[in-house]
Amino acid sequence: MSYERTIWEKIADNLRSRSMWMLHYCTGCGAVELPPSMTSRFDMERLGMGPMATPRQADIFLITGYLSVKTLRRVIYTYEQMPDPKYVVGFGSCTINGGIYYDSYATINRVDYYIPVDLYIAGCMPRPEAIFEAFTELMRMIRKGEAIGWKKYKENYEWYKQNQLKSLGEVYVHDEFHE
Amino acid sequence: MTIFKVAAVLLTGFFVGLTLEGIARKIIARVQRRYGPPWYQNFIDVFKALSKHGFSHGWIFDFGVLMALGGVIATLSFVPLGNLVAFPGLDNVFVVLYLFAVGALGMAMGMVGSGNPNASIGVARALTQMLGYEVPYLVSLAAIIFYYKTSSISNLMNLQADSWNLFKMPIGAAVAFISLMGMLGKKPFDTPIAPAEIASGPMVELSSKYMGLLMLMHTFSIFVEISLFVDIFLGGGSYLVFLLKFTVVWIIATLISAVLPRFRIEQVVKFYWRVPLGLAFLQAFFVLIGWVF
Amino acid sequence: MSQLLLILFIGSFLVYLLTRMNWIIGVLANIGLAIYSFYRLFTFKVGTSESIFSLIVNQNGTLVYSELSKFFGIISLIVAISVYFFLINWLEKQKNRAVFNFFLALITASTLGVFFSGDLLTLYIFWEIMLLFSVLLVQMGKEDSKKAALNYLTISLIGSYMYLYAVFMLWNRYGTLVIKDIVQKISVETSIFKWAVLILIAAAGIAKSGIFPLHTWLRTTQGSSPDAFSAILAGQLEKLGAYMLVLTVAVFPSLKMFPVLYGGIPVFNYVLIVLGMISILIGTLMAIKQNDMKMLIAYSTVSNSGYILIGLATMDKIGFAGGLFHAFNHAIASVMIFLSFAAVIYRTKTSKIDEMGGLIWKMPLTFITYLVGIISLAGIPPMSGFISKWMIFVVLVKKGMFLTAAAAFIGSVGSFLYVFRPLAGVFLGQLKSKHKDVKEVPIFMLIPMLVLVVITVFFGVIPGPVLNMITAVEKELNIQPLEHTMTVIKSSVGQWNTLTVFTMFAVGFIIAFILYMVFPKAKRIPLTNQYTAGEFLYNYDLYHYSTRFYAFFERLYEKHPSVEKLYEMFGKFFKDIGEFLNRWFYSASPSAYLLWFSIVLLAIFWVRW
Repeated sequence: MSYERTIWEKIADNLRSRSMWMLHYCTGCGAVELPPSMTSRFDMERLGMGPMATPRQADIFLITGYLSVKTLRRVIYTYEQMPDPKYVVGFGSCTINGGIYYDSYATINRVDYYIPVDLYIAGCMPRPEAIFEAFTELMRMIRKGEAIGWKKYKENYEWYKQNQLKSLGEVYVHDEFHE
Repeated sequence: MTIFKVAAVLLTGFFVGLTLEGIARKIIARVQRRYGPPWYQNFIDVFKALSKHGFSHGWIFDFGVLMALGGVIATLSFVPLGNLVAFPGLDNVFVVLYLFAVGALGMAMGMVGSGNPNASIGVARALTQMLGYEVPYLVSLAAIIFYYKTSSISNLMNLQADSWNLFKMPIGAAVAFISLMGMLGKKPFDTPIAPAEIASGPMVELSSKYMGLLMLMHTFSIFVEISLFVDIFLGGGSYLVFLLKFTVVWIIATLISAVLPRFRIEQVVKFYWRVPLGLAFLQAFFVLIGWVF
Repeated sequence: MSQLLLILFIGSFLVYLLTRMNWIIGVLANIGLAIYSFYRLFTFKVGTSESIFSLIVNQNGTLVYSELSKFFGIISLIVAISVYFFLINWLEKQKNRAVFNFFLALITASTLGVFFSGDLLTLYIFWEIMLLFSVLLVQMGKEDSKKAALNYLTISLIGSYMYLYAVFMLWNRYGTLVIKDIVQKISVETSIFKWAVLILIAAAGIAKSGIFPLHTWLRTTQGSSPDAFSAILAGQLEKLGAYMLVLTVAVFPSLKMFPVLYGGIPVFNYVLIVLGMISILIGTLMAIKQNDMKMLIAYSTVSNSGYILIGLATMDKIGFAGGLFHAFNHAIASVMIFLSFAAVIYRTKTSKIDEMGGLIWKMPLTFITYLVGIISLAGIPPMSGFISKWMIFVVLVKKGMFLTAAAAFIGSVGSFLYVFRPLAGVFLGQLKSKHKDVKEVPIFMLIPMLVLVVITVFFGVIPGPVLNMITAVEKELNIQPLEHTMTVIKSSVGQWNTLTVFTMFAVGFIIAFILYMVFPKAKRIPLTNQYTAGEFLYNYDLYHYSTRFYAFFERLYEKHPSVEKLYEMFGKFFKDIGEFLNRWFYSASPSAYLLWFSIVLLAIFWVRW
């Protein structure tokens, strides 16, 4: 599945694949595997990747662990603040099927329903080797123009919004404790 | 002729600046026993950022970024690079330093215009830090201008034919180097952009091409700052010699910053106004009584 | 000249009557008067002198038209005309319009009178007229302006009485008050006399331009006087102080009168330079702390007066020119800033920085005025403010005055800090919800602001015309004239070209703009769409960082000694003495009155015999 790209977009995709800035949404335990992948042992920076402070600057969005109803709202908000093109990577089994918390009342079992995930990394938790495997795969996908979650999100915005609303429900009291 | 020279200066700033930033990342990586990114990583970063579809917070946000880049490009064109001098005689130190402030003001304005308090805090810190490092730097420059009776950078550069200012006025050079670290915003003086405290400060709302343009601006500023130091303290020479000295200064600054933690902002001001400012006055006093090697 | 002054004084009564009938006609008449006198300034021949009425025996009042009076007259009339234009809309909300207008016209007339005066007594008379009516204008402002006016009056009177004492001393010694005659005689006097006279005369200038230690009135006066009048105060009246300082350091030839110290600067000027240094530091550090934007700029005035004083006191061709040019730039820049503040206050009814925010989206042209004003005030290149600061830096460095230079550098970099506070707090950031309906100010308020923007940019690119006037002044005062062409400013330690700098800035901006246009277009999002670390916000009023902007820096000098508090202590002391005397001498009982009355009578008789 890939879209037609102009020559400029191909060049841009090539650049994007080699300079991926991450924003990590560290809700769960997945984040513990990121420091070893960033630091001396595995050194993420040799692929041109690095952590960024805000969603505005970031290209890839790492969701590291399970999401609750409360945090899903934040994830969507943050995702929509990121500039296009943006890629989402789901970390660990929690993002795929809810992981060990699948039967909790507040757990989001499939992130895919709410924001488009380009790539999942299986495991609980995925080791840095797996993470690197995934990132090289993501790089390949971006280069080939296959990582098009952000386009899908735009095209199927109604569907995603509907799912989001269904899961989050109506918020009655607007303050920081009830959102 | 001037046009070609300006173009050459700007292109040097672009290519050398970005390359050396990449090399600095490599060096930091090696200090930390990592492999590090390729040397051309910053080219990729800039053009990737420019290629994205970002967000703008209104005209002042755009205007601020343009003013920042425009101001720094204007500053860069006045800086002599070895024997490549675009405006001989007109490259006054104060003009260059204050023209530099246009870029800083533009950036501050655009970033605060984004409406994010993190950006405002970052800008407030950056300006305070500027108050810290500019004063000792300007005093040590004042001593040099007083000694040579000229404030044109290219003249200052050529007048060091016999011996570099680094050896003639070692204290002043040390002060200028410490101030240079603050100007570059390298550790321990990277308080304004502290990513972990204030979400990278002024850059908090920067996306896509704004990020790219500001990265270019940052590169050019680094180029201007180090070039000024090299021109004023490390003597003249041909274009290539200049680039060599430039690289050496940049690598030393990178190495120092690679192993240091971060100051708090009031510690920055206190430090600058205590140690380097005192040393700068000492140097000025030595120049007054003629103790110049 | 006497004719012009007469027209102005009579005209101001006319303005009063016209304003009583229809205030717009009154304001227009005022503008007409100012423009007429602006035109007349160029028709007078430099060097003419006239005698006017005589107040004391053997002493005719004289008016002299010199290059200096022309230069300062032009500054003050540019300021006056732009503020009067501003009044066409602004005055609508003011209560006593007729009196306001009348006083303004009188102030302009007496300001010109000061600049034209050829003898010290005429100068004093015009000075006091100006002081009286400016005090009356100050108290028309906010609630606490009565107290501020008193403060202003007291400190100005300290200055002008010291000046008057010097006048008496000179009259006693020489029997003449014509400046030209005194100047020739005074250089052979004893040094104590010279010191006393010059310090006393300088005191008037120090009080008026807000130099340490007489700077305390500026904060309260600027802060609470009527908004448009603050501009007059900063642009027109404080330049009278600068004129007085020129009088002390240059018209009285300080180079001949006093022994010359390090750097070829007379010892008397060193005293002034030290005061200037202290003012720069105080002004800068205190301005950073202020929360009221008008008070902030009032402190910046203290700092900039310090620059003017330092520039003038160096008596060097570049430094003196820098001082004069800085007087010009500061007048224009502070008028721009105060007018933009007046526009903001006109719409929002507040002058506290932390009660505003995001006004750029409602008042973009006011913002541009403020922006250009602060770029000039802070001395950043494409505007004219940098040129004068450059000259002052150059002379300080050339003469090797490193301590003064360090103070100047602190003031200059510090000015980036404090001018940025209103920019960030008032104009940028999140718009307060109560200011959702604010509009741009009416057209006649915008016209003078934008004209001043054009003037500042123009003289920043082509400073030649102003520098020509300044060199004429320097020639007249026997200082070597500054070397310059239309756009190149030369000094013995290098030169620079304003036009090249501006061109390169334009080129840089165009390059940036091309890059900006080539790459993909960004999506415009509202200011409320912010990075909040995933948090949802509802009150964006609170998402604006403006209260105690530089808190971390302010903490470094929280416990500073304050001259203001010292003066308050003095004030309290005198008040206590007054109350004590009151209790003793003005008791209500008739017998006590009888007692004092008889004592006084006895004393008179005793003296008689």
